[in-house]
Amino acid sequence: MGEMTRVLECRDLRKTYGERKAVDGVGFHIDLGETYGLLGPNGAGKTTTISMICGLLTRDSGHVEVVGEVIDVGEIHAKQWIGYVPQDLAIYPDLTAEENLMFFGRLYGLTGKRLKARTDAVLEVTGLADRRQDKTEEYSGGMKRRLNIGIGLLHEPRLLILDEPTVGVDPQSRNAILDSVEHLSGEGMAVLYTTHYMEEAERLCDRVGIIDQGQVKAEGTRRQLVELIGERDRVRVVVEGNIEAAVVAVRSVEGVQEANRSDRRIDILANDARVILPALLRVMADAGASVKGVDVVEPDLEAVFLHLTGKALRD
Amino acid sequence: MRAVFTIAAKDLKQRIRDRSAIIMGIIAPFALASVFSLLLPSSQGFHTDYAVVDLDGGPVSELLTSRVLPGVVEAGFADVTPIADRATAAELVEDGEMGAAFVIPEGFSEAITSGRDATITIIGNVDAALSTQIAEAIATGYAEEINAVSLSVAAALGGFTTVLPATIADISSRAAVFEPSIVVEENEADSKQMSDKTFYSASMAIMFLFFTAQFGILSLLSERRQGTLTRLVAAPVGPWTVVLAKALTGFVLGAVAMLVLILASTFLLGAEWGNPLGVALLTLGGVVSATGVSAMAATMAKTEEQASGWNAILAMSLAILGGTFFSLDRAPEFVSQLSLITPHAWFLRGLDELAAASGTVADALPAVGVMVAIGVVTGGLGLVRARGLVIGR
Repeated sequence: MGEMTRVLECRDLRKTYGERKAVDGVGFHIDLGETYGLLGPNGAGKTTTISMICGLLTRDSGHVEVVGEVIDVGEIHAKQWIGYVPQDLAIYPDLTAEENLMFFGRLYGLTGKRLKARTDAVLEVTGLADRRQDKTEEYSGGMKRRLNIGIGLLHEPRLLILDEPTVGVDPQSRNAILDSVEHLSGEGMAVLYTTHYMEEAERLCDRVGIIDQGQVKAEGTRRQLVELIGERDRVRVVVEGNIEAAVVAVRSVEGVQEANRSDRRIDILANDARVILPALLRVMADAGASVKGVDVVEPDLEAVFLHLTGKALRD
Repeated sequence: MRAVFTIAAKDLKQRIRDRSAIIMGIIAPFALASVFSLLLPSSQGFHTDYAVVDLDGGPVSELLTSRVLPGVVEAGFADVTPIADRATAAELVEDGEMGAAFVIPEGFSEAITSGRDATITIIGNVDAALSTQIAEAIATGYAEEINAVSLSVAAALGGFTTVLPATIADISSRAAVFEPSIVVEENEADSKQMSDKTFYSASMAIMFLFFTAQFGILSLLSERRQGTLTRLVAAPVGPWTVVLAKALTGFVLGAVAMLVLILASTFLLGAEWGNPLGVALLTLGGVVSATGVSAMAATMAKTEEQASGWNAILAMSLAILGGTFFSLDRAPEFVSQLSLITPHAWFLRGLDELAAASGTVADALPAVGVMVAIGVVTGGLGLVRARGLVIGR
């Protein structure tokens, strides 16, 4: 896509807390109609990054433009282009869904018939129209989540930022949220989606930035990222016994690229895993480990993450 | 500016809906003011009954019964009932039906006009000590005036000790011009005090104002806890917009609570607040100071609970020091001086100024100025800290 359709441009974002570099040179862009995923484990710097993008947090250095306008804590005009959905619920429990929407709508400059129309539309989309007059403290967790996202959509932003919107959500609501996000990108809205769920990133995102320890380790489409690790399979083995010895033994097998322990699990990246699987099982048994389960998966973003960081996404 | 009103309107709706501001700002202070007004002894509302037993019936005793004591009745704090004999009077006093009794013995006038010693007896009751003390003071004042006139007359007559009947009338008329000090003497300081009902209404109003005004800035901490502050800051509104909206919420809550309390205490308790413009200015000053002080206290805390606790301690300390529970008239001088660091003392002082017979709005302006200054200084600090809360979260 050309420059005319660029919605978000951020470069070299940095934020340090004491000695710790929470964000260390992060940069990426998102174009109109594109869904961009920031995939990384908890504490990787995702929320700090989007806090700087939204102008919620002062950055140490770097540059952020939304729809061509610079945004910062003191630069508030460009905030109108963003719809921000925080990770935690951010709704008033003692107000109704309608009152919540009307209030935030007014803050974004909506008034009169347009405010009413947008409120009605969001209540319909989120399935809360028939409960619009109920205080949100009476809502189920899923309903609150839907309203939380609906507030971000109310003013029809150019860029929707969703910070781990499915954390702590039941499977049914989670699917509903993912369907909604897919629908939004289809309508031409740019979406920045942070998650530590590989499946969500694979399902929703046109491009993914893999972030760890405050740095974007790699970025691209799913295909581009998977190509980073070649045609390698990931083997997940659950073992008991002498696990450390088993890891060392596995690394010695020809065709094994990487082997890392995670609790009682060994994650292995290997060329043509099905061929070398018997050898893997044999060396682990010889090392004193008892194999309790084996799972061979095709290359995916989690394998990429493992390859780039040496650890699993949910460690 | 529209965003300030939008946020403040939302906050006011929440506070009204949870009733906390109504309870703290209106119901609690009005209830306490009512209780204090009804149950505590009144300094201004003193009233007693006196019996007078005139066994003399002469011209000098008539000075007391026809001139001095009617003045007491006219002053409005006692009724006087003539009683025929001493025993009945003593019985009435003992039964508590009379606060005290004056007994003028037979031959009193003759003794006075002959230059002999004469005695007025006051029959009192230990359960009505104040009535007895006032009766003694009235009698003492009367005796002093009679002595002064007698001495004067005696000197004019060249040392004669017997006063002619014609002279007695003259004594009577001249004695009458001596107003018994305890009855009619105007004490300027007393006349500048509010009535008890007004005092308790005003003191409870200003004390609870410091609890009501805190709801504004306190909601900043509440928004931070429930995550909505992030969303407010993510909207196209600046940090100062959020902070000013919270301050405006506290100000409006305080002002409305004060207005309701003033009207309610006026119409239901009979409080007399004084010149409406002066009261309005004093209320404005009080609300500004309460908003400022509570903003400073709330922003020192990290949680709502902590902020509420600190604000409560501060509000109560200032209220006690500021004389909202008792008048500072009888307090040591240094306490009176120290109280002037509190908006409460200035608020009550301003109302006292308005209560004076000659009190004008201008007399209340110094108190208004001090309260506004306290509010601006503390509020300035509080708002700067509140902005830090918004940005740092």
